[in-house]
Amino acid sequence: MNRRPNKALFAAQIQTPFSVQALTLVIVITIWELIGRTGILFDELFPPMLEILRSLWRFITTPLLLPHLRASLYEVGGALALAMITAIPLGMLWGSRRSWLAIVEPLILYAAVVPKIVIFPVFILFLGIDVHSKLAVGAIAAFFPISLLTIAGMREVKKVYVDVARTAGASAFQIATYVYLPAIAGQVFTGIRLGMGAAVTGALLAETKIAKAGLGFMIVEYYGQFRIADMYSLLLFIFILAAITNWTLKFLFSILSPLARGSGDPGMYF
Amino acid sequence: MVVIAESAVRLGWISSFFLAAPTRAVIVLWEQIVHGNALRLTGITILEIAACLCIATVIGVFAGFLLWRYKLIGNSYEMFLATLFSSPVILAYPIFLVTFGRTSAAVVALSSIFGLIPIIINTKGAFQNVNPILLQVGASMSLNRKQMFRYILVPAVAPAIFSGFRLALTYILKSVLGLEYVAQVGGVGMWLSDAAFKFEVEEVYAGLLGTIVLSVLFLYAINRLEVFIRK
Repeated sequence: MNRRPNKALFAAQIQTPFSVQALTLVIVITIWELIGRTGILFDELFPPMLEILRSLWRFITTPLLLPHLRASLYEVGGALALAMITAIPLGMLWGSRRSWLAIVEPLILYAAVVPKIVIFPVFILFLGIDVHSKLAVGAIAAFFPISLLTIAGMREVKKVYVDVARTAGASAFQIATYVYLPAIAGQVFTGIRLGMGAAVTGALLAETKIAKAGLGFMIVEYYGQFRIADMYSLLLFIFILAAITNWTLKFLFSILSPLARGSGDPGMYF
Repeated sequence: MVVIAESAVRLGWISSFFLAAPTRAVIVLWEQIVHGNALRLTGITILEIAACLCIATVIGVFAGFLLWRYKLIGNSYEMFLATLFSSPVILAYPIFLVTFGRTSAAVVALSSIFGLIPIIINTKGAFQNVNPILLQVGASMSLNRKQMFRYILVPAVAPAIFSGFRLALTYILKSVLGLEYVAQVGGVGMWLSDAAFKFEVEEVYAGLLGTIVLSVLFLYAINRLEVFIRK
């Protein structure tokens, strides 16, 4: 008698998004492994999963990737720092006046569509094929999301906040740091997170074109040597690294953002 | 900025090895359009973009509809799609070169993925956000399933799907031009890559100018189309 409800309950319990995701992963890995072991389809393209994981383990446990990781981190970190230093103040400046915004915003929106990697040859001419040309591509790529979200944040700042600060005798710098920055922090943090993704893509893609070191450079090296398992594991390594950085930034910004801390209750400010 | 760049090169403040005078870049671009390969290469790039858009729209709208129709599958795969969208998938282009060879097919296959994801997400969201009153009106008029889909659902979801389409086109454009440059295949991007490889500075700037003009024209066309459709 009780069997049927139990069955239904069990079915409801396993029919969750998590179980579907897990099942999908298991099916994909099984099919991949089958193709890899039997070699029935694109023999070279599907190396056995175990081989990829073994290669990934080698990357994690040996210093093989360390110089390349260091080069890429330098490029991405430098690119993000450069983009933040320029995009946040410029975004605040452009967003503070409607007349400036009317001129600048369409230009930025149109420039944002141009793939930044195509500017790479110009950076090679000026900065050479070392890390700095990739850093510049990453910085240009990260500049647009950060500046656009800073502008979007500035647009939402209530005029009354600025008026109150002005009547209290605040200088332009004080208004920028004590009124605008806290008010737009949430948008700026989102811009930085998106900018980081853009910097990773820009810098590493540039590395695949011309470089002496870096994770992108290694991907193309493995491709050139037809070491497909190593190439897959390196891609997996980059995806995992990018995801961890993204989550970490998300978590960090949720703590730092005054909007996240605010409960919407005005009492907390008094 | 253009005047400063022109003066800097003409007065010898910056070597023409690093920077081409803007007027020279325009002249070289014009020569390439009239006598060279620029139009053919632009045609290849536009064809690649069109192919990506067709693939992304057909598969994306269908997949988005299925993800909305089957809620469990939809909720499960939405996170996969979001993760895929935020990861640097473009770095996997060598896999596509191995699979499709160094041809436009590799560019189209990878760039379609960039168009596919926003269309799927927007289509699913569009169906999810259809005003229930519209469905109730349809039911009260005794519309059958086919009529409900044709006369209620499709017009209700069209604007939101178009937003996804617009986003997809932007991503496809960036991906196609970027991949053409990096993998040195296809149209305008390959021209730029070739010029850089040969250290033809004026041609590099002409190619860059051509790429920027093409991107801007595309965005302008999309904006006009959106205004036209929303009217």
